[in-house]
Amino acid sequence: MTSQAVSYQRSVRNVAIAAAAVLLLVWTVFPFVWILLTSLKSPGDILSVPPKFVFTPTIDNYAALVIGEQRGQYSSTRPDFPRFFLNSMIISLGAVALSVAAGIPAAYALARFTFPLKGALAFLLMSFRFVPFIAFVIPLYILYQRVGLYDTHAGLILAYQLITLPFTIWMLRSFFMEVPLEIQEAAKIDGCSWFGVLGRVILPLSMPGISVTVILGFMFCWNAFNYPLMLAGRQTFPVTVGAIQFISYEQVLWGQMAAATIVAALPQLLLSLMVQKYIVRGLTMGAVR
Amino acid sequence: MRSPRTRHWRREKSLPYLLLAPALVLLAGMVYPFGLGLYYSFTSYWLQYPNRFRFVWFDNYLSLIEEPLFVRALEFTLGFTLAAVVVQVGLGLAVALFLHGRIPGRSVIRALMLLPLMIPPVITALMWKIMMGSTNAGILNHMLSFLGVDPVNWFGSMQGAVVSVLIIDTWGNLPFVALILLGALQALPTEPYEAARVDGAGPAAILRYVTLPLLSPFIVLAVLFRTMDSLRIFDVIYATTAGGPNDATTNLQIMAYQYSFQWYQMGKGMAQAIVLLLLVVMVSYLLMRLWNRASESTS
Repeated sequence: MTSQAVSYQRSVRNVAIAAAAVLLLVWTVFPFVWILLTSLKSPGDILSVPPKFVFTPTIDNYAALVIGEQRGQYSSTRPDFPRFFLNSMIISLGAVALSVAAGIPAAYALARFTFPLKGALAFLLMSFRFVPFIAFVIPLYILYQRVGLYDTHAGLILAYQLITLPFTIWMLRSFFMEVPLEIQEAAKIDGCSWFGVLGRVILPLSMPGISVTVILGFMFCWNAFNYPLMLAGRQTFPVTVGAIQFISYEQVLWGQMAAATIVAALPQLLLSLMVQKYIVRGLTMGAVR
Repeated sequence: MRSPRTRHWRREKSLPYLLLAPALVLLAGMVYPFGLGLYYSFTSYWLQYPNRFRFVWFDNYLSLIEEPLFVRALEFTLGFTLAAVVVQVGLGLAVALFLHGRIPGRSVIRALMLLPLMIPPVITALMWKIMMGSTNAGILNHMLSFLGVDPVNWFGSMQGAVVSVLIIDTWGNLPFVALILLGALQALPTEPYEAARVDGAGPAAILRYVTLPLLSPFIVLAVLFRTMDSLRIFDVIYATTAGGPNDATTNLQIMAYQYSFQWYQMGKGMAQAIVLLLLVVMVSYLLMRLWNRASESTS
């Protein structure tokens, strides 16, 4: 083969690689770009054929999310989006706080003690990751209606423990196990009780891991849709359930729905860049580092 | 991990249980309703007709066999799972191998791929619903028209709805597979590659005889997680097709939802939920065994 043919082959290869990279980038990012554009369009621009890339942007859709009206006209469906956003915050923070409070001692026990049924218990916790939610939500719905937890923040925080508690315990356990045993033994020789070892050795050394667990747990709660769909009412809907309220029998409010999806996704976009090194670990409950 | 030496703590045998107690109480609070639900699956519980409540043994389960929708939902659940796993793991592997090479802007692509993965699945569904849109104004059909493809009736036709759900689910979860496998690729030992190169193996042979075997535990892990999640897919279907048209995208979870929350037949809905749970347990048991075997053979 001549050197010309080789360099020709190489440049074809480079072009193919660049094209594939661009394709992957467009596939990943274009939906976000298009939804952002849609959220800035007036109803007329949204329905235009062919779709418009150039238009006069408007913040009407975002304004409608906040005050529930569009150019003086009240829309037929009037989701209370600021409240939904606040609900998402309250429920997610509450659920994570409860999970971490109960999860730290549990993870410590699973990481540093041997006791009968330990393996079975760890496996039981892992299996919650795979349970179909509907098997839990039907009886929870019946029970919540009876005991007054339906459509309350407390009820949702409790139900979300099915999502966050097993996750928190598994993640914290994997971080606690990374603390070298030698340091723990040294602390014990210095007279630390189990509580001292936890408070003075394990927790300070696994602070980064705890932060990652808190952030990921918060994100999983923020993403939850199916539990609140059945267990929340208009007072406690989170943003995920709130966003589908823009679809009604009469019409779909595309622009407001686009604005709502941007607002609902925004915290996730910021947080996922913060914890990007740990996301795979979190999604596999610590199985993949 | 070897078990820690707990010399002078060993006396406190109850300590680990005390530490676990708060978590166990919380979980028990959630497992108790599940037990209640299991009981309801043997009853004729119908929320609107409380006085019809009676214990019917296996009637709810047996009636499923004669229910045409159940058979179709079961078929769709299994078929969709198979398709989603093949597509997502296949493409995910391709993307991982691609990004493992020297690609311009790799770290940027890698970071951006986290975004579809971490936004709420229902929001993903709504984003694609906007793009697929009504048949004419949707950007996706507009873009396809440049490739000479006729407008696709995304959610209106039975095949279109199935394909749409698959595309949306793939957009959200392809990064999961790709990132697991990319991470695994970057942690692989270099010795086998050097040995293969000394033996004169070409790129295809190296992929087939070195990379894929070393990667197999991670591929099985990706298959395990994707299978479990695809069997239970709900958010995307609920927000786009709600199981239609003509029940084409009704899986077991959507069917159980319809029975219990649209028709309030809690007993029947719960029986369907239990069937799905058993299916998930069976499949996960098989895949876990496969994973154990795959990780033993490589380590």
